[in-house]
Formats: sequence, structure tokens, C-alpha cells
Amino acid sequence: MQQIHKPKLKYWQALEELEGSPEALEARAHEFKQGVTDDFDIQEMGGVSRRRFLAAMGASAAFALTSCKSYLDHGKVVPYNNQTEQIVIGRPTFFASVVTGRNDAASVLVRTREGRPLNLTGNPDNPFSQGRVSGHFLASLMELYDPERLQKPQKADGNSVTWKEADEAILKALQGDKQVALVFNRVMSPSFHQLLQEFQAKYKQVKVYSQTTFHDGMRHAAWKKSHGTDVFPCLHWDKADVILALESDFLGNESNLEIERLYASRRDVMSKEHFNRLYVAEGNLSQTGMNADYRLRLRPDAQYALVMGLLNELGSSASSTTLASVVKEQGLSETVLKSLVADLKASHGKALVYAGDRLPEAVHIAVNALNDLLGASALYRDEAEVHLMPATSAADLNALIAAMKGGEVGAVIHVNSNPVFDLPNDSGYADALAKVALSVTLAQRVSETSAKSTYVLPLHHDLESWGDYKLHTGLHLIQQPVILPIHDSRHLGGLFETWLKGDSAAYNEDLSLTYLQDYWQKQVYPKAKPLADFKSFWNAALHDGFVQYAEPVAKPGPFRAAALSEAKAPESGKEFVVLLGRSYATGEGELAHNGWLQEVPHPVTKVVWDNYAAVSVTAAKELGIKTDDLVTVTVGNRSLELPALVQPGMADKVIAIELGYGRSVAGTIGTGVGFNANVLLSNAEQTSPWILGKANLAKANGKHHLVTTQLHHAFDVDREQNLQFTRGIVKEANYQKYLKDPHEAEMHGHHLVNVTKMHTYEGVKWGMAVDSNKCTGCGSCIMACNVENNVPIVGPDQVNKGREMHWMRLDRYYAGTPEEPSVTLQVMICQHCDNAPCEVVCPVNATNHSPDGLNQMAYNRCVGTRYCSNNCPYKVRRFNFFDYRDRFAKSFYTQEVHQLQHNPEVTVRSRGVMEKCTFCVQRIMWARQEAIREKRPLKGSDVTVACQEVCPSGAIVFGDVNDPESDISKYRKHVTGYHVLEEVNARPNVTYVAKLRNTHA
Amino acid sequence: MRKSVLDYILRIYLPVTLLIVVATYTVTYFVSRDERYHVGYQPTQPINYSHELHAGTVKTSDGRMGMGIDCQYCHTGVSKGRHANVPAVETCMNCHAVAATDRPEIQKLTAYYKDNKPLEWERIHKLPEHVYFNHSVHVNKGLACQECHGPIQTMAKVAQAKPFMMSNCLDCHRNAPQRYPHLVNLTGLKKGPENCAACHR
Repeated sequence: MQQIHKPKLKYWQALEELEGSPEALEARAHEFKQGVTDDFDIQEMGGVSRRRFLAAMGASAAFALTSCKSYLDHGKVVPYNNQTEQIVIGRPTFFASVVTGRNDAASVLVRTREGRPLNLTGNPDNPFSQGRVSGHFLASLMELYDPERLQKPQKADGNSVTWKEADEAILKALQGDKQVALVFNRVMSPSFHQLLQEFQAKYKQVKVYSQTTFHDGMRHAAWKKSHGTDVFPCLHWDKADVILALESDFLGNESNLEIERLYASRRDVMSKEHFNRLYVAEGNLSQTGMNADYRLRLRPDAQYALVMGLLNELGSSASSTTLASVVKEQGLSETVLKSLVADLKASHGKALVYAGDRLPEAVHIAVNALNDLLGASALYRDEAEVHLMPATSAADLNALIAAMKGGEVGAVIHVNSNPVFDLPNDSGYADALAKVALSVTLAQRVSETSAKSTYVLPLHHDLESWGDYKLHTGLHLIQQPVILPIHDSRHLGGLFETWLKGDSAAYNEDLSLTYLQDYWQKQVYPKAKPLADFKSFWNAALHDGFVQYAEPVAKPGPFRAAALSEAKAPESGKEFVVLLGRSYATGEGELAHNGWLQEVPHPVTKVVWDNYAAVSVTAAKELGIKTDDLVTVTVGNRSLELPALVQPGMADKVIAIELGYGRSVAGTIGTGVGFNANVLLSNAEQTSPWILGKANLAKANGKHHLVTTQLHHAFDVDREQNLQFTRGIVKEANYQKYLKDPHEAEMHGHHLVNVTKMHTYEGVKWGMAVDSNKCTGCGSCIMACNVENNVPIVGPDQVNKGREMHWMRLDRYYAGTPEEPSVTLQVMICQHCDNAPCEVVCPVNATNHSPDGLNQMAYNRCVGTRYCSNNCPYKVRRFNFFDYRDRFAKSFYTQEVHQLQHNPEVTVRSRGVMEKCTFCVQRIMWARQEAIREKRPLKGSDVTVACQEVCPSGAIVFGDVNDPESDISKYRKHVTGYHVLEEVNARPNVTYVAKLRNTHA
Repeated sequence: MRKSVLDYILRIYLPVTLLIVVATYTVTYFVSRDERYHVGYQPTQPINYSHELHAGTVKTSDGRMGMGIDCQYCHTGVSKGRHANVPAVETCMNCHAVAATDRPEIQKLTAYYKDNKPLEWERIHKLPEHVYFNHSVHVNKGLACQECHGPIQTMAKVAQAKPFMMSNCLDCHRNAPQRYPHLVNLTGLKKGPENCAACHR
């Protein structure tokens, strides 16, 4: 008998599952949880009695009769009076613009239809993002159409005021002799920066602050001490053979679109370049840690010791800490460190050590020393990030607060910032603000700070604004409005000019454009040295969305050895250490109002709508803590009670908490979601405000259920324990073995035989490939799919019942032990199987196959039996248990302004209908229309699906599998390509490239 | 043999009733079909615009000569995308800034334009919202507007000429090469797609 080939690893998705908990096994066996249909409580749904219902019915019938002119009435057609040249009804128009976050900005291409921005993609011409965009920027579309955006100037209590009144109050303060503080986030616009300088020149008592919860100030300060310049260069991530990331989430929270792309370019099985090798040393399991080849679990306050140990091991005289002592003290894996040291030694000039933003300055200096030793300067580019205004230090902010308390400040103007929420409680900002005569918040929506401000003034959304941004040397982005302001909001630049002119009546919408043009003519035009005149230059820049010009960057000086000896070693301890981080979903809390982001599962834990204290398996066992148990985290005199989550792969004695939750004034969506961990922040002098040593963790009474998509739609494979070994849903191989003999990684395991004749597909047949080596698990694809396909938000209670509507699911599999797991990611969507099991069970033929290989879903035929979903081996079908737009948060997303956001090319599904990934059939039909229009055959490369379009690492490939020259065909034929559950003979059309781990063979 | 009541019911009453029901149903079915399919729906428009006069090429019913303007002069979107587009008022004004300015309907039109007031035409042809019909793929394959919209160039007041049922779509999609043999070589006309996602998504 033939031996069954056994993969070496056993995969598991949750600790409960590994431990064989009955609930977890139950969850796998039933896609729809027990009692999933029990809660159709009439009372809850409408709160209407039978009698009132009948009365209402009668009334509405009568009303319908009177209002109906004729049943033939087909509505109106209202053409433009003056046709805008660019707009053809039904055809999208694209504009290059910029969308900003709190700390970053992305050059995007906005797709508008009949004047409404509907979707974003990265600007394909932009050398930085190259057509990619991350989920956060996509989600900013939701903000444009947010029903709770500030619609008019108002007071803190919501009573409206006039712009004139607010302007005059501000002008009065500006003309007074007390200090006026302007509190910004990061200022990224050069033209606005110049305007600010003019502003300060006129109003001498104006001081400007830049306040964010997280920043990379440590890195820059350390760089200045080490290399004499604070211009930190951009890195050749694509040229590094060995990368060591220290508590750095450079593929996740600390990423930008370029890093992810450059990193992934060295994880390409189709390219001739060898894979890079990623070592990660971290306390929490981050998105970067999931992608590591080797992972070291290390407390964040022991990172300094590790770097010093490495310095010593690599022969630097600056360090006397031996690596062996660090290994012993921290319990690190000796074999991993040995191979790390060997790799670092072997790849001089091709190895890079990168410390995370949150690590103290001393670690950054030590890392600079290490990089110097490794010859990493070969990986420094002649480009650098641009910081127009560095983050204000804690000392300066404290001075401001003291001045506010002392009554020396006449006015505080917050621009998009939220210091009342962000700053530590012991800084006393809220109390200080109460002592200021005039406080103003310029923002798009209410916040804790706006609730304490005299005036709350609405600003334009990015897509309503003019502006320019510069985050990189030599690359100047330009922002243009793509829609007229929806509300009575104003442009930030225009407001400051109005105040600069000292006349409240001076505001008009063109002010900022005039200023911007003027700035570009004087500052940018000479630098760019174009051959054209300014007007053509301006129009071209506007069309492209950016200009590029040569801008020399000061070369970093040689490493100053004294910097290391001067640096004070950060304290390390044995007690618990709290590691505070930015939330993957809500950022620093500024995105808490965005339901789309709240509902995208956390890349590692898959928790939605919540934050928690992640603790290690060992610590949890010692303290008897289970996931969902409330725990008390205490640091000094500050403490917080929040639910715990037992996180595999965490360093012992580390408590990782994400900030950005527990907002108290964040509208219908964001208020009260999660726990406010900002209370743990302290104003006291410390090496890093985000790493808090000497903490205590104790179990508290009670539970708080964390909603996770972890086991939802899990593969139905655990009927017998060993079955999952043989199913090979995720496959992986060793890269070094693969290099020697690609057939080591041969994944095509089955010779499939059909008893019936297979359908032959002539012409185009659609297929997708997902490269597991490139996928970093960021979830931007899920967001892109939501935007494109009108996927509703369902809320945590529904996700908890397994009713999330996302068409894409990012599965995360752990393998190995709970303490040291390795992670594999898998994007799971409708596989569009040739022998689709869902199709044969549909009683009404609502789901069937198209001649171009799509498993199509006719919503109007669907009667909601859910048979198809039961029969789907991949669990990718989603059922509308409710009309979710109506149900979620008291019909929040049915409000008129939000309706504008829907993609008119896709049906908005209602209750009782099954839905799933369509391979963006609307885009396929669009490509077909264009092919017919241009009288040419349809090609596979004509179609770019939404998830593929945004994927920052380019992990998704889509195209015509019948075209042997297409990319998709190459992936299908590749030796590491496989189909999930091949042996059930569903013949799926999504090919996965097996994960190749670049560990030593 | 004594005729019972039951016998009367079975022999006469029931068949007659059935006949009446069936006949009524059949007659109603056929008589109301156009109505149900909205064929002949002819609403009154805010401007009494005549396709007969603008698009026709023969003498109109009120004795003026048809101008034979191409459909796409006004319905510009028809070869570019999903919607045919009702022309912007500006398009009318291309001619009517000078042409026939003495007529009351044109003065009405000019008022809409000058006051920048929305001109709300009554919609005649409408497919259900789950149907994504695409004008351009049909027009670019050489199909004439009249195939679906009827002899629009003879209508002084437009009415829906043909039913817009899915069976009508499929009837043509299945038999396109037979119906329009002249287009097979001219525009590469093939059978239309019959899969759901071609129109529903």
C-alpha cells in the first residue's frame, strides 16, 4: 500500500483548537453556529406590536395609493444643463490626488462617477507607491460620506454658530498679547508650512506644536547623535539579503507602501533574485513577526542587551556584553542566534538591522553602531524622508500645558489633533484647556477635544481640498479636490489665510488654490527645472498627481563611536513589561469612527471591534488567565482593566496593548469600542513612553467577550484528528531545499480523474493566483473588496455569530508549539471551481457557471436556502441574515449622504440573499465593453480585480488561464503552485503558491 | 332518468364556469400584455419634443420636413458606456440658440437653460434595477436603436414600442447571427452571452 505523504507540520488556528477544546471542534464542524437562526425576535427587530403593525400597514397602503401617480411611472431623467466635458454618464473619470492619514499621505488615483469619488487606487505613475494603496487610505472614502461629519461650525454642545462669529473670536485672540498655541498632528504640506511661517511672522505670539501619540522621533534623535545629521535615509530594502527587525513592525504598523513592495520583491518565486532572510526579535507577535523566517521572543527592554551582545559577537570593542550571557538571561534560542551571527558575518554590506519606532534612543544608537559594523551604509539610498516639523517633545508640550494652566495662553487651536484623548492623564491637558479663554478644534468630526472646545469648526475632507504634500525628498505630491464640499466646511489653508488677512470676510474657496499655485511657481517650479512654462507645468503636475526633481540629500557622516558610549543603557527588568502599540484598525484612535476599519480582522489575532491585553501562553498558565478573562494591568499608580488574549508566540512577561480604543466621544460607531489604554501612558521622563517596565498583571473578576473571526468559516477537516495532516490546506517547503531541487517543493499531489466529461472553456477563462510568499497579511485586499463590492458592515454582535460579510478572509495558521509558532497566511475567497459543489445543490439554479469560468450568483433568483454554503468546502459564501445596512447601528449607514458611496456597478444586496466573491465581474464586463468598443478581442490583462489592484506586495495575480503567456498561467504551472483541497475534485481556479521558508535546510 | 342537481352542476354549471374563467383569463392575459409589459407607455414630457421631426427623414404629420439628425448627435453615451444619456440642455441650445426661437416650446426650453433649472424628462424605458444593460456593447456590434426602441424616428411623442422582458433579451442573444446575418462579417456579431453575470451582478 502506498504510504500517505505526511507534511511535517500540524496546523492550528487557535489555542483552543490545539488543546482540543470541545467548543473549538464544534465550531469547525458547523459553519453556522448552533442557534444562529434563533434570534429573530420580533420585539427586537421592530419593537412593534401586531396591532400597531396592522395599523401602520393600512396607513402605508393608503399612503402608497395616494402617492403613486401611475404604476407605469418610471421616474425622471434629469440631464445636465451644461455638460462637463469629462463626464460621460456611466463612465468613470480618474483624478490623481492625495489622501492623508495622521502621519502619512498617499498619492492616489480617485475613481469618480458622475462627480462622486467611489474608489481609490494607488497612483500607478508614482515611483513610491507604484499603484498600491493600503486599507487605511481606502477607508478614508467612508469618512467623506460619514453621516456624522461635522456639517457646520458649532459650539461644543452642538449649537451652530456662524463662521463670522468664530473667525472674529479667533482674530481677537490673535491680535491679543497672550500666546496662541496651534496644535497639529504631523504637518506634511510644504505650502502650508510656509503659510504657517508667514502666520507666525505676523502674529508673533503664535506657537506651533506637532502632537501625535506615536512618532519616530527616537530614530531621528539617535541618527543625529550617531551620524551628525537628522536626515534618516531611505533604505534599499530590496537589496538586503539579511534583515533583522527589532520590535519593528516594518511590514505592518510602521510600514509604508514602499517598504512592503521592496521587501516583497525579494520574496518572488518568479524572480531570479534569491529570497531575503528575515529575523525578527520581538515581544509581541506582530504582522512582521508572522512573516519572519526566524523569530526570537524577546522583551522590548532587553533589545539593548541583544544589540550589544551582537556587537560584541561581531568583534566590536564598544560592547562588553557577550551574546552568550544575553542568550542565557533571556532564554533565547542558541541555534537561531548562531545562524543570525553567521548570516550577518557572511553578508557584509547586504545585511540590515532595523529597530522599531518605539524602542528607546539608546537601542537606535546601538543599532546604528551595528549597522556601521555590518557595512549597511551600502543600503542607504540618496533619498530621505522629509520631516517639515519634528514631533514636539514631551518637555515642550508640558511647558505649553503649564502655560495654559498659568493663564498665559489666550487661545488654543487644535487642527485635526485630539490631545485630550492622546496625552497622558497626568499631563492634565483637559484641565489646562478649561483655563484657556478660547479653544478651537478644526476637525472633520467630534472628539474628546472638540467636546471641550469653545468652537468646533469643520474642515474639508482630503477629496474636497487643494494641497501639496512632501514625505520624500525629490517627490512632491499634489492634491486636488474631486468633489465640491458636501457640507459647510472650510479649507484649512484658506482659514489660515483668512486669519492672516485679519478679515473674517476674506474667506473663499479659491484662497488655498491661489496660495498653492503661487507657492509652486516660486518654490517648486524652479527646482523641477521643466522646459515648459509654469501653466503647462502646473497642469501636468495636477494630471500626474506629483512632480519629481533631483534633490541632493546630505550623506550621513561616519558613525561617531562616542555616541554609543554616551548613550545611557535603558533599564531592563524581570517584571512584566507593557508594550503599547498603535492599533492596526483605528490607528491612534483617530479612525475609531470608521466601521470598515473596525471590522477588518486584526492581522494576527483576528479580533474585531476591540482591543485587549495580549499575554504569553506561559504567563497565562501561571496566572490562570484565559482569553476573554478581565485582567488588571498596573504600571506605577496607573491601572487599567481590560480583557486578556492569550497570544501564541509572545515573549514571557510582556503585555501588549493596542491604543486607539475606548474613545468616549467618537460618534455612533467609535464611542465606547474597546478600552482606553492611553491611561497607562505617563508624562514622566522615560526612555520610551510606549515601553513601560515594572508592570503588574493580575486576574480580575469577570469576562469580556472578544469577538474574533478566528474560527469562523474554518475548514471542515477535523472529523478525524489526522485528516488535517493529509489535506494540506496550507503547504510549505524549505527555500534552500527548493533552490537545490525545485521538485523538493512539488505541490501538485493528485492525479484527478472525472467520471463525467469536463466542460471545455474556449476563449478567456478567469483565474487567480495568490503568492503566499509575498502576502504579508495586511488586509488591504479585504478593504478594497469592501469598497468595490458594497460589502456591508455588520457589527460585533453579528461577527460573533459568524455572520461577517467580507468576501475575503485572511486565514492565519499557526504551526508548531504555542510558545514558538510559525505562521502561514492564506487569502481565502470564492475559488470559482470548475466542478463547483455549491452549484449542484442550489434548488433554484441561482448559482451556476459562466462560460468564462466564473461561479456566478444571481441574487434575484436566490431564495436563501443556504444549501450552497453548506456544500462549499472552502466556506467562502456569505449570507445576508439581515438587511445589514438597515440593521447595523440603528440604520447608521442608510443615511442619505452615505448612500452616495455605493458602487453603482454592483447590486446592494438585501436580506435573505447569499453572496460571495464574483471575481469583480463588473470589472470583467467593463473590460469586455471596452474590448468591443475598440474592436479587439478581450485579453486577460485587461482586467485588474480590486484586491489585486491595491495589494501592497503584489501577491495577487489575476488573468486568463487559457493564455499560456499570461502571468496567471505561469503561476498555475509553477512547481510550488497548488490548489486547496485538490482531492475533492472541485477544480478550483485560485492557485496558491506554497510558502517557502528561508530557513537553513 | 331524473336529472339531479349534481348532474346539473357537473354537466352545465361547472363547464360553463370553467369556460368563462379560462376565457376571461386568456383574454385578459393577451389584452393586458402590452400594458403589463409597459408597451405603449407614452407619458407627457415637460417639453413637447418630437423625434419624428428631429430624427425622421420624411415629411412629418404636421407637414414639416424631418431633419434626419443622427441619434448619436444627442445620445452621445450610447457607444461609450452603459447609458445612452439624455442630452444636456446645452446640446439643444447648440441649435436652438438661434433656431426656431419663436416657438413656445423652444422658449420654454431656453428658460430652463437660462435659469439653470433642472429639466425633468419623464423616463420611458426602464429595466429593473438588478439588470445591468449595456448600450455600448450592442451599438458597437452594429445593432440599430430601433431593434429595441421601435421606429423612434416616426414618433412625434415617444412611447415604449417593445416589451423589455428577459425572454426578449434572450430571444435575441440566442439567435443573433440568424437575425442579423449582415452584421456577422461586418462587426463580428456572435451569439450574445446567456450567463447570469452578463447582466446581473
